[in-house]
Amino acid sequence: MSVIPVLVKREFTSRVKGTAYILTTLVGVLVFVGLSFLPPLMERLSSTLMPKSIDLVVMDHGAEPSLFPYLVELGQAREGLTIRDASSWDERDAYRLVLDEGLSGLLLIDGPLTTLVTPDSKNVVLNEEIENLVNQAATMWKAAQLGLTPAEMESLFNAVDFRIREVRPQQEDGTEVDHAAQTQAMVLAYFLLFMIYMALIMYGNMVASGVAEEKSSRIMEVMISTVKPLELMFGKIIGVGALGLVQFVIWISTGLAMALMGRTGLMRALLGMTEPLKAVPLDSILWFGLFFLLGYFFYASIFAAAGALVSRVEEVSQVVSLLMMFIVVGFFGAYLSFLNPNSGFAVTASLIPFTAPMVMFARIMLADPPLAQVAASVAIMLCSIVVGTWISSKIYRIGILLYGKRPTLRQVVQLLKG
Amino acid sequence: MSLVVAEVTKRFRDITAVDQLSFTVREGALFGFLGPNGAGKTTTMRVILGILKPEEGQVTWKGRPLDRLGPGFYGYLPEERGLYPKMRVAEHLEFLGRIHGLDRTRARREVDRWLERFELGAVRSKRIEELSKGNQQKVQVIGTMLHDPELLILDEPFAGLDPVNAGLLKEVLLEAHGRGKTIIFSSHRMEQVEEICQDIALINLGRLVLHGNLRQIKKAMGRQILRLSLEGNLDFWAKIPGLQLVAERADYLEFKLEDGLDPNRVLAEAMEAGQVIRFELVEPSLDQIFLEKVGAGA
Repeated sequence: MSVIPVLVKREFTSRVKGTAYILTTLVGVLVFVGLSFLPPLMERLSSTLMPKSIDLVVMDHGAEPSLFPYLVELGQAREGLTIRDASSWDERDAYRLVLDEGLSGLLLIDGPLTTLVTPDSKNVVLNEEIENLVNQAATMWKAAQLGLTPAEMESLFNAVDFRIREVRPQQEDGTEVDHAAQTQAMVLAYFLLFMIYMALIMYGNMVASGVAEEKSSRIMEVMISTVKPLELMFGKIIGVGALGLVQFVIWISTGLAMALMGRTGLMRALLGMTEPLKAVPLDSILWFGLFFLLGYFFYASIFAAAGALVSRVEEVSQVVSLLMMFIVVGFFGAYLSFLNPNSGFAVTASLIPFTAPMVMFARIMLADPPLAQVAASVAIMLCSIVVGTWISSKIYRIGILLYGKRPTLRQVVQLLKG
Repeated sequence: MSLVVAEVTKRFRDITAVDQLSFTVREGALFGFLGPNGAGKTTTMRVILGILKPEEGQVTWKGRPLDRLGPGFYGYLPEERGLYPKMRVAEHLEFLGRIHGLDRTRARREVDRWLERFELGAVRSKRIEELSKGNQQKVQVIGTMLHDPELLILDEPFAGLDPVNAGLLKEVLLEAHGRGKTIIFSSHRMEQVEEICQDIALINLGRLVLHGNLRQIKKAMGRQILRLSLEGNLDFWAKIPGLQLVAERADYLEFKLEDGLDPNRVLAEAMEAGQVIRFELVEPSLDQIFLEKVGAGA
């Protein structure tokens, strides 16, 4: 019987009960719930910042364009907006009125130049609102100059009805693309992609520091007298992977539950996801699972080898920083692929093992890449996992007995040849 | 002859840690593996354990290469002790038992038995990091013995143990020896080796210096040690060629007799010089053999 299950069990149980693991899981859940509620909260908060009423005194010197009549028109149409004429007043009296009665401000209109005299120039929200009003009045004036009717005016601002249809080889009539559905797919893809990215970094680091811990605590010496290095490495990788899977199942369930309940929250705020999720996107979750595992197994073995090269846990971050760069590049590659999932760049990146797990996943989520490309990507990942694990296990085998100065890259290559 | 180390050479780049080393360990022997720091003891142990592959030579057990032996064959106590600091004592030991091939039931039973034996029952649910150094040592020793291995390889097992626990360890080792287990251990403390080992190997600079039965080695050393206590003229010995003062103890002088010098002649001279209170011929201690073979610098 193999010892791998025993190693996996130790890795899993000793960490799953740990404060660090429980805390990060809980914090993750709180973040997901919190983010889902954050934008409505922000909306409510910002509405309290908005002025309830705007009370303006206007001094229009009568030069063209004379905006006062249009401001009055706006004031009649809009609730909470009061416009008073002070054109014949002395400017100082107008100032006094603004200060004494706590008005929103005094507008000095002199042809194309409009000046707002305000008791509070720092109130950005209010002042912007007033600027908008003046601009609206200016547009109305211009429309009147051109002799446009209100209907003509409105048609000026009407957008074109722009739709997209996609033709596919099997379906030549062209299907209309449901924009809302596409946005939803994109938001979901982005969310899951971010999860893969997080998982690779978090659990890759956990593997590397786990190996370094075993080395620095010297438990490694006892282990390798009875367990083969390859078994040790797999025990660690599978154990940490299981921890990751549990944590991500919890997090993603939380995120999806929020989306199903209509709490699209941050996704809506950032990416314009307006409708609540209608059903659990099972195929997306399965693709996520596949590329999560492919990416994790590829990177984890390399992280394990990196961890085996250092003598102390403190040094881990130095050796893994290079690996993290690859993951970051993969993430940005996938992000760029979002803009054009079938570009040459995206196709190439989805076939390179370092970037494939994230880029191919992004492409599948957004477009329907040819099956051959998906198969090629998965096959390349599987081969890379075998080759990567093989090379890593050799480095690992040598590394776990090395203490003292960290070997240089050249020395590692020499060791591999020897 | 059971464990055979044959012509083993292990190099690390241009450093030869173990050089053409050959020795044998009888099945069931309590074998002392000695040498100064840096002699190649740990490297040799790692080769025997199969952790390191030698460049030349091989190690066999009853004629079979070592990689054919099951996971429970070895018990290894490395010199650098190490445990998972966050794990709890009983869990940790169960884990060690299981990676050495015990099933869960058996592992738990053995853990209970050994914890009781080493009086660690009260700390079984504590984390390793909460234990005292001495108790951590005991846990590590239990982890080595738990699965009742055929071959125990212990690197400095007595280091860091107080006299009570050192006694306990000695007892446990002798018990395993009684059950026919083969035990190889290294030590700096020669009196401990002398007390419990029948066979030894002494290596220096990766090469074998001495090997065999401790009693025979001592006999073969030839030179005898004389302990003499005398009331009278203490300078008499200077006239006797081949007699060399080794140490002046509180109540006696220790001499080395060179080959060919008749002890009776020394006795006769001593009796002439005064009242002889003590005249004793003893074998050299392992300490003395060690120093002589390896040099005082070790």
